[in-house]
Amino acid sequence: MGDRKEARETRDDAFQSFVIGRWPRLMRTAFLLTGEQHAAEDLVQSTLEQTFVAWRKVGSADDPEAYVRRVMINAHARKHRRRLKEFLAPKDDSGLVREVADTGDRIAQAEDRSALLQALAQLPPRQREAVVLRYWEDLTETQTAQAMGCSVGAVKSNAAKGIAKLRAIPGLAEMVTHGGRK
Amino acid sequence: MSADRETNQTMTDRDIALLLADAADEVEIGIAPYQAVIRGGRRRRARRWALATATALVIVGTSGGLALAGLRGGDGGEVTPAVTQRATQPSTPEERHVYTPQQTTLAAGIEQGETWYVTVDVWGAPRTEAEAAAQLRSMSSHHEEPWDRDNSSALVGKITYFVQRAVGTGEPELLMGDSVSPQDTMAGTDLKSGASTLDPKKTEGPQRLVVGQVAKTAQEVTCTWKDGSSTVARRVEAGADINSDEAAIRPAAGSLDNWFVCVGAAGTAYESAEVTK
Repeated sequence: MGDRKEARETRDDAFQSFVIGRWPRLMRTAFLLTGEQHAAEDLVQSTLEQTFVAWRKVGSADDPEAYVRRVMINAHARKHRRRLKEFLAPKDDSGLVREVADTGDRIAQAEDRSALLQALAQLPPRQREAVVLRYWEDLTETQTAQAMGCSVGAVKSNAAKGIAKLRAIPGLAEMVTHGGRK
Repeated sequence: MSADRETNQTMTDRDIALLLADAADEVEIGIAPYQAVIRGGRRRRARRWALATATALVIVGTSGGLALAGLRGGDGGEVTPAVTQRATQPSTPEERHVYTPQQTTLAAGIEQGETWYVTVDVWGAPRTEAEAAAQLRSMSSHHEEPWDRDNSSALVGKITYFVQRAVGTGEPELLMGDSVSPQDTMAGTDLKSGASTLDPKKTEGPQRLVVGQVAKTAQEVTCTWKDGSSTVARRVEAGADINSDEAAIRPAAGSLDNWFVCVGAAGTAYESAEVTK
């Protein structure tokens, strides 16, 4: 039993290091996916709980990050899609594209980071996931496809559509010029 | 962060990556809630283990499972409290079935030309950590594993059961399992059940097989199916014939509760189960 106990303690230590080490980055990714602080915390905690259950297998795998990303994307797709729409979607229920590419009010809203978050939140979930994984997580198309459980073609399509909608934010160019606003 | 691994990127893509990084900084990182993650993870592992392949776990009852006080049985007679029963238990771990489970067949039948069985293995409660550690090793040799498989001390003082279904000559498949204190017996109309498919090839198939625990006093359980039909399981004595045409509530060796199995007709699925008498 001594060996078993020792192995468990080693696994526990490794998991603790993993949680503490990855928490900041996972929180940022979850924030971009959910658009909301508490929803991001819930998403990361739920993801790590599931990781804990499978840690014996995941911890010894070559790429535990890939497993965690997959769990997070699945959990996001399952739990946060509807909630986010309710939380951030404009009351006017017209089409998303038109919302993003709308008139002068949008320009004013795009003057700070929340405009980007809001635009991100208005993307359909698969487009949002593709954009966040490709442009924030810096994953390749293949890695993104693995995380999303879809084909590379679907990643390309979702990322391209998502990016096109973000580009359509009238104030985005100005934000870029100023390097974002602090 | 930039997405510059791929060649086909415009400046705007890169800028969007920068803006995303900037937006991501809006979140308050805080301290990683490690202990909460561990607690949540253990709960998930326990739930997953308790359910195994059975779904639709239902726990009904208001007694909280405690049956320490004298209870009235369905026939009005006094039911012997679990604690009194425990006092008469044998003392060696072998006699208490700590290292070898007592197995009872709860039901059997034929599905698509193959015979299926539902059995329950009941492992006696270890009294010390050493007994628990030896029990865990023995469970492992039986291909049975409690949810807290790394923590044998969690088994001390608890009876552990594994409900399995075997089809034909295939490997038994875990349907339900749990480790419970002997004081946590069921009482009155308490019922804990899980529904599963009978088709060994389809874990998502219609849930026609219902297995559950009820109090020793329960005389009748009614399983209701989605098509509106119902099956009544009635209490039989230990060792009574296993008859695939009749649902039954029967005792299982080593278990402080009785067990029932209902099977729905082909084409329907589980809706509910309750103690009706």
